[in-house]
Amino acid sequence: MKNEYLPHEARIESIQKESFDTNTYRVVFVDKKIRDVFHYHQGQFAEISLPGVGEAPISITSSPTKTGYLEFTIRTVGRLTKEIFSLKVGDLLYIRGPYGNSFPYEDLKERNIYFIAGGIGLPPLRSLINMIMENRSYFGHIKILYGAKTPNELCFKKELETWKKETNTEVLLTVDRPAEGWNDHVGVVTKLWGKTKIKPDNSIAIVCGPPIMIKFAVLELMRSGFKASEIIMTLERYMKCGIGKCGHCNIGEKFVCVDGPVFRYDEILRFPTKENVI
Amino acid sequence: MKYNTITKNNINKLLKLSVKDCEVYVPMEAEGGDVLFQLLPKSGPELESSVHKINLRDEWTVISLKDIFFPQIETMFSFNHGKITPHVESSPKLIFGVKPCDTKAMIFVDEFFKRNFEDIYYLSRAKDRLIVTIGCLSAPRPSSCFCTSAGTGPFIENGFDLQLVDAGNEYIVEIGSYQGEVFIDSYRSLFKEAGVDVLSKINNIKSNAAESVGLKVDFKKALEIMEGDTDFEENYSRIGERCIFCGACIYVCPTCTCFGIFDDKGDDQSVRMRNWDACVFEGYTREASGHNPRNEKSLLTARRYEHKLKYDYKINDVSGCVGCGRCLSSCPVGIGLSKFVDEITTNERRM
Repeated sequence: MKNEYLPHEARIESIQKESFDTNTYRVVFVDKKIRDVFHYHQGQFAEISLPGVGEAPISITSSPTKTGYLEFTIRTVGRLTKEIFSLKVGDLLYIRGPYGNSFPYEDLKERNIYFIAGGIGLPPLRSLINMIMENRSYFGHIKILYGAKTPNELCFKKELETWKKETNTEVLLTVDRPAEGWNDHVGVVTKLWGKTKIKPDNSIAIVCGPPIMIKFAVLELMRSGFKASEIIMTLERYMKCGIGKCGHCNIGEKFVCVDGPVFRYDEILRFPTKENVI
Repeated sequence: MKYNTITKNNINKLLKLSVKDCEVYVPMEAEGGDVLFQLLPKSGPELESSVHKINLRDEWTVISLKDIFFPQIETMFSFNHGKITPHVESSPKLIFGVKPCDTKAMIFVDEFFKRNFEDIYYLSRAKDRLIVTIGCLSAPRPSSCFCTSAGTGPFIENGFDLQLVDAGNEYIVEIGSYQGEVFIDSYRSLFKEAGVDVLSKINNIKSNAAESVGLKVDFKKALEIMEGDTDFEENYSRIGERCIFCGACIYVCPTCTCFGIFDDKGDDQSVRMRNWDACVFEGYTREASGHNPRNEKSLLTARRYEHKLKYDYKINDVSGCVGCGRCLSSCPVGIGLSKFVDEITTNERRM
């Protein structure tokens, strides 16, 4: 029987600074055998740990088409992520996974896609966005609406510029508190409605961010005519095991770690009504 | 079903012999009078003195056998200078004197740990085990046992390797599995083939036992109601206001299996461990950001009842409640699942 809880050593190959409290780590499994069998899909996550410190679920932000390494974008929030923040290139992380379901890549083909993200909510979408950009012609128009508290806190600043240059692709950025030299929008992400056309025609919206942002983004999307089944989101939930055992992420009969983290909004509407899922 | 008998005098002999072949867990009186499943010492005066503490009468073990396979706290890994060592336990076990409701709960938990990803820690501990169930002649906790309503006792039809039926000076032994039969054959001299009148004897004992369970609730109706969309917000709010969220009901519940995972750093060696957790604790769903999706007393209460009576039933076709009554008997403020079942089926306030 496989020990699902057994983590594998992975060496940090590079660290990309995203903001004052967020880094993207590129890691490579030390054991070549693990490197060869660790196949993941867009939107899945892994359990990352440091021995003696703790373990947490983190989205895989690299595109599954890029093999040999994994990327994780991690904001320092708790005990483990603070410790990870102090690591250097060459240090080890301990990783198990991949876990959870994934974004329905095939179903998105031929469709227009709206990505709506807030703060650290863009990293879970990056895997899918880059996969789509690699096969750009299969998809309709793409709009990425991304908001953060301050310009510094926007992740993937370089990539946002690259995505902007893709054909038929629009990237709209907004911040709550602008800094000097900020020429983009100001306000919460829903302020971007009105700055660009957001129409449900043959479209899918994919949302990720803090619960309050998701709530208002969904509200605006529904107001714009999107059906609940045309809104996809990836949920954040306190998790321990990642494999449907520890119980923490259980909502109704679903486990966010196994049945999610990606859910359509119509599925979420069938969750126990009183829970503040988003 | 095949039947044997064993005299009560022979039980201690049987246990003293089997302790040579495997770990033997049996209900024993602990200091303070609680009865708990404890490991029988292998030999010597410790074994002799332990044998006298064995209690197979209609007494509750405070906790079911769940902590034999799913300990309150266990080490999953140790980390030592870059070396990761998993701590997986798999010794053969005899669990002797398990109540029928707890046997049913164990099967429920087995299925849970097998589903989707297999949990190696639980399944290894439980892999090589023999379960000797003992039926109840009367409710061990008359004010909280409701097994006849939940359909899990005071005797069960399957799920055990052996089931003991107390017939006065002897136990009639029902053989429920091949392993159970092999076990009896290994200690053949202590057992006898049952006489021809065994069935009528058993049926008589079982029906008297069932009649003695006084607390009855309409469990089946409750499961049907919970399948629907009825909103029990008033119940959840009221019970939530009364609850002190101590988690006692969760810890003693034979089907509750939530756990936390945490690390402990040492100078030389660090460990990753898991311990029981409880969905009624405020921090159970709190995220690192501080956001807590289940942040109200009524939501915590709803989760507990809906998990047991709605979602478990939806997934497994059996409820996550086996009617053992421990939640009620352990609750400092008089909340219990049987009372909730009674409330929603009679529309009368019970808590």
